[in-house]
Amino acid sequence: MKKIKDELIDFTFVLPALLLFVFVLVAPFLQGVGVAFTNWDGFSPTYDFVGLKNLRVLLTDSQLLLPIKNTLLFTGVTVVCVNVLGLAVAIGLNQKIKGAALMRTIMFMPIVTSITMASIIWKYIYSDVFPLALGFSSPLASKEWVMLGISAICIWRDVGFAMVIYYAALKGIPEELIEASTIDGANAWQRFWHITFPLISPAVTTNIVYWICWGLQVYAYVATATGGGPAGSSETVAMYVYNYTFPFQKAGYGQMAGLVMMFCIYIISTTVTRILRKREEML
Amino acid sequence: MITKKRSTVIINIIMAMITLLFLSPFYIPFSYAFKTPLEIALSPLSFPTSFSFDNFIEAFEKANFSTVFSNTVIVTIFSVMLSVTVCTMAAYIIERKNNKFYNRILYLFMAALMLPFQTVMFPLYSQFKTFGLLNSLLGLIIAFAGFKIGFSTFLISRFVKTVPIELEEAAIIDGAGRYTLFFRIVVPLLKPIIMTSVVMGALGAWNEFMIPLVLATNQKVHTLAVSQYYFIGQYSMQVNVAFAYILASMIPILALYFLLQKYIVDGVTAGAVKS
Repeated sequence: MKKIKDELIDFTFVLPALLLFVFVLVAPFLQGVGVAFTNWDGFSPTYDFVGLKNLRVLLTDSQLLLPIKNTLLFTGVTVVCVNVLGLAVAIGLNQKIKGAALMRTIMFMPIVTSITMASIIWKYIYSDVFPLALGFSSPLASKEWVMLGISAICIWRDVGFAMVIYYAALKGIPEELIEASTIDGANAWQRFWHITFPLISPAVTTNIVYWICWGLQVYAYVATATGGGPAGSSETVAMYVYNYTFPFQKAGYGQMAGLVMMFCIYIISTTVTRILRKREEML
Repeated sequence: MITKKRSTVIINIIMAMITLLFLSPFYIPFSYAFKTPLEIALSPLSFPTSFSFDNFIEAFEKANFSTVFSNTVIVTIFSVMLSVTVCTMAAYIIERKNNKFYNRILYLFMAALMLPFQTVMFPLYSQFKTFGLLNSLLGLIIAFAGFKIGFSTFLISRFVKTVPIELEEAAIIDGAGRYTLFFRIVVPLLKPIIMTSVVMGALGAWNEFMIPLVLATNQKVHTLAVSQYYFIGQYSMQVNVAFAYILASMIPILALYFLLQKYIVDGVTAGAVKS
């Protein structure tokens, strides 16, 4: 009897989090699965079950190709740049250099701004400073360059965050290891590839997967920087889902697109995790 | 030895340059907010000639700043309190029980990290409508906290692993119940990671964009990140006023960051080193 009571008391520790989680995520998710197979506009009292029609329309919609291309481009560019720069800065700051603490503080500052702020600041850097200082016009106004222009905003804002995670991983490497290899005559490059990199590779894996997940969901950077323009050339998958769900009032179709999006993110991120974990073992 | 010293100097210079490059965009809001539209048009990069606060006064009046600001403060404080409290309790019991049932709950929480907001956005909207939580601060607090559960529970649970269990065992022998144990002994030991969760949670909540965009369409419950978005749309002709608004909403969170930044690096470091 006492044992059951103890178990129940223990369960009350996890219960509030569980209730909140079910209310905000699990219940909406399950309802969403139901909505995805209907033609609901989102507010009418009645709607019909349409089976797989939404999925069929979605998979044959040629309008979806550009958002997919834009999303993949944004993800690829930000994942590579944020992680390479973040790691490089973390290594730089981990050397015994002057002002490292202040530099770390400043490098993390961009993430403290909201995405809205970051986009607006960069919009004016692109339109006012770029033509004056570098002699070229804003990438946000060009159909070819707009996604790279938006990616740069995200890179500026996120490098500091990646840097903190890599910096923490570097701090975890025992100094004796580095010292021993230096005495053995390893140069800086060899030390990095044979000692540092294998030891921080769990952080590399985590970071890459984080930024892939975030990149594939990108909405706010685009909405605040260009609103999808010029002429729809910077639309992303998340924006496609949002537009169908709310402004176009096709909640059933938007919900199906949202589910497919989740499925793709899940497949991509678990595949990448598996490949990177395998690589970790080989290092 | 000389080459070593020289390479350190070179790294130092490169790092200083990168840091300056990342700092330089902040010049725009700080200078535009004080300039007149004419000054911005003529010479975008020059310093403002006078430090007048007219732009700020105009922005505060037109953007309903005091309401939006207090909304943001209320939603940030209460959503962080709610999520950190429930996640600390959950993370503690999940780690201490460490059995199949509790580990499954942790996996469920963590699976949500991969769930895009767009997938639950519409049903969440209609569910909040049913419960009367749409366009209310309470609704925002619940939603902000709910979306934080996966990350915070994961972060805190890794730290709980490193807290020695002997102290708790001694207290159990003394006859203390689980709650006494938790609040008297465990919470003080978890203080570093709790502080990290509070700071990270506050930064996230202050800047959250997607959730209020969908759940708070009424201007009365706008928070800063969304209000900036609409305000800039309306005042794109008055760049100086728009940037005064941006700067005013950025300063409180920057101040909080400067005060509590050590908890960010410490918290991430604790998790990375000890896991």
